[in-house]
Amino acid sequence: MTTRALDPVQRRALRRQQLRRAGVYALAILIALWILLPIWLIGTMAFSTRDDVYGFPKQMAPIPFTTDTMQFFIDQPGIIDGTRNSIVVAVITLAMSTLIAAPAGYAISRYFFVGRDAYRLGILAVRAFPIVILAVPLAVTFIEWGMFDKVYSVALMHTALTLPTTVLVVSSVFASIPREFEEAAKVFGCNAYQAFMRVVLPLVLPGIAASAIFTFVMSWNEVFAATLLTIRNRTLPALILYQLNKSSLQFQYAGGFFMLVPSLIFIFFIRRYLFNMWGQITK
Amino acid sequence: MKMKRLRFNFAPYLLILPSFIYLAVFFAWPMVRSLQLAFVRDSQILPVLSEPEEKADVVGHLEMQVDVAVVDRIRQDETLASGRTRPVYWFKIASETESGEPIEGWVHQKNLFIKSRTESDTARVVSGEGAKEWTLDYVERMINDYRFREALQTTLLLIVFILPIQFVLAITMALVLQSQLRGNSLFLYIYAIPLGISDLAAGLVWVTIFTQRGYLNTFLQQLGLIDQPYIFLSAENQHWLIVAIVLAEVWRATSIVMVIVVSGLQAIPREYLEAGELFGASLWQRLRHITLPLLKPSLQVALILRTILAFQVFAVVVAITGGRVLTVLAYETYRWYDPGDSGFNNPNMAAAYAGFIMLISLAFAVFYLRTVRTQEEAARE
Repeated sequence: MTTRALDPVQRRALRRQQLRRAGVYALAILIALWILLPIWLIGTMAFSTRDDVYGFPKQMAPIPFTTDTMQFFIDQPGIIDGTRNSIVVAVITLAMSTLIAAPAGYAISRYFFVGRDAYRLGILAVRAFPIVILAVPLAVTFIEWGMFDKVYSVALMHTALTLPTTVLVVSSVFASIPREFEEAAKVFGCNAYQAFMRVVLPLVLPGIAASAIFTFVMSWNEVFAATLLTIRNRTLPALILYQLNKSSLQFQYAGGFFMLVPSLIFIFFIRRYLFNMWGQITK
Repeated sequence: MKMKRLRFNFAPYLLILPSFIYLAVFFAWPMVRSLQLAFVRDSQILPVLSEPEEKADVVGHLEMQVDVAVVDRIRQDETLASGRTRPVYWFKIASETESGEPIEGWVHQKNLFIKSRTESDTARVVSGEGAKEWTLDYVERMINDYRFREALQTTLLLIVFILPIQFVLAITMALVLQSQLRGNSLFLYIYAIPLGISDLAAGLVWVTIFTQRGYLNTFLQQLGLIDQPYIFLSAENQHWLIVAIVLAEVWRATSIVMVIVVSGLQAIPREYLEAGELFGASLWQRLRHITLPLLKPSLQVALILRTILAFQVFAVVVAITGGRVLTVLAYETYRWYDPGDSGFNNPNMAAAYAGFIMLISLAFAVFYLRTVRTQEEAARE
């Protein structure tokens, strides 16, 4: 049987449907370009020669390709140390934030206890709080405690910054694992600890890893608190911010690109978890 | 059995305890400290005594660095812990208090800077006792600072421009992702990239576009719209500075709104939209009357979050303007705190600014929560 010929009304409807589909594609690509083009442009600058960085009009691709500009940036005094500080701060933040948040997230997803809702609400409030401004009193306190200008004191601040988010994300990850799994494990003779270690943990690990990566990125990017809390042991963003006014275009373009590379990589790994991570928070 | 019923489950409390303690130390305490810095002056004043001895009555107080006339002096022997004695002087001084009243009395030599203990007839007050007093000086000074008004205006202006664009774009992005195109996961990745980009990097990205020898001028010249590169980012072109900051912020911070909106969209049952379609609602009508009303809670959360974050806008502004030409609240906080050559090294003023950001963020959050609720209540009646 051949397909029945469409009557004019149906044909018009189909065409409209197709047109709409094409329109959505065009829109999707346009938005993708809006995000990618600026990254491409700063990437082009970061891998162009010095003359091209200062030249006009600008080229659309880094031809001739060179790593001189990136090299120039990395060779600037303090950049290597700043990068190392940033990584150390981010790793400490990631570890502390995850270790402190994981039990709390487990508690609010698995137990019903007096004060649970109050605790959840409190965490939500802290998460929405303009927490970066705590950097001023913390800096003053750290000076009094002799902890100023230390890498770990920046990590302490960043943990306060990321902890609420991590608690909420971890609780949503645990909530996505049915309780029955644990109970089934207990039926088969595991105690509570074994049920957690052998059944729940392997299932939540990817989600917790995603949240840990996001914590790393948040700390790597944070500039305001890091600038206030350090003088000599600056993190990379704090160092770049501080030198911005007296720096060359090469430094700015290469530095900007250098800072956004981790996000390109890390967001790729955690993209599937993003909605799990925020789905719970909005409820 | 009876025992078991009485047993209270401590496990969840133990599990949340570390986070509770951490936030008490690194969140609640700094908040208190911040208010202390903004509202309490920690100054020294010198009590002037009626007799040349420690326990005498206080007749009045003198501020630091006040010049005093030495009227009389008396030498005493002070016994040290080792058992030896050493001479100390008490000075009878005359001066005026802050309010202009004359004051005369005795002070110990350790509180004065005096050239010769035996001969000088003038001295200067250099130390005293710590005194904490409530003050509105810092807040008043902040409000009267012309940069404060500028910073507040610019911050609000940015919010007014950024948020509407951001929400329209974020909802569009979310709807595009919801329509399940081929390559959806690639689009999702691309749309999510800015989530991980710092405000500083985003600012620098847009500097490459707006700077004098940048890409915008290149495009404009290729299109034949200009002959010479136009200087967008200069103090005379405030509106172009605003445009650049708005674009950078929209580019960077729309993804978080998009993620929240997508989460909200996923919670809307498909049946609602299908029912709408069945009854002949157009795409726009479905969006206006089904999707958006159901998205309201998500949009509310996103709105609160984005507004609070917008009051902290900082590095984008510094990257694009250098901070001096166009200032925002967070930059003023930084400038007052910064002990370096560009700052004032004044934590009290910085805390006043920080407190102001806190207050205005809170006010906006409450405002949003109330407006949305009253609309719902009105709808119910």
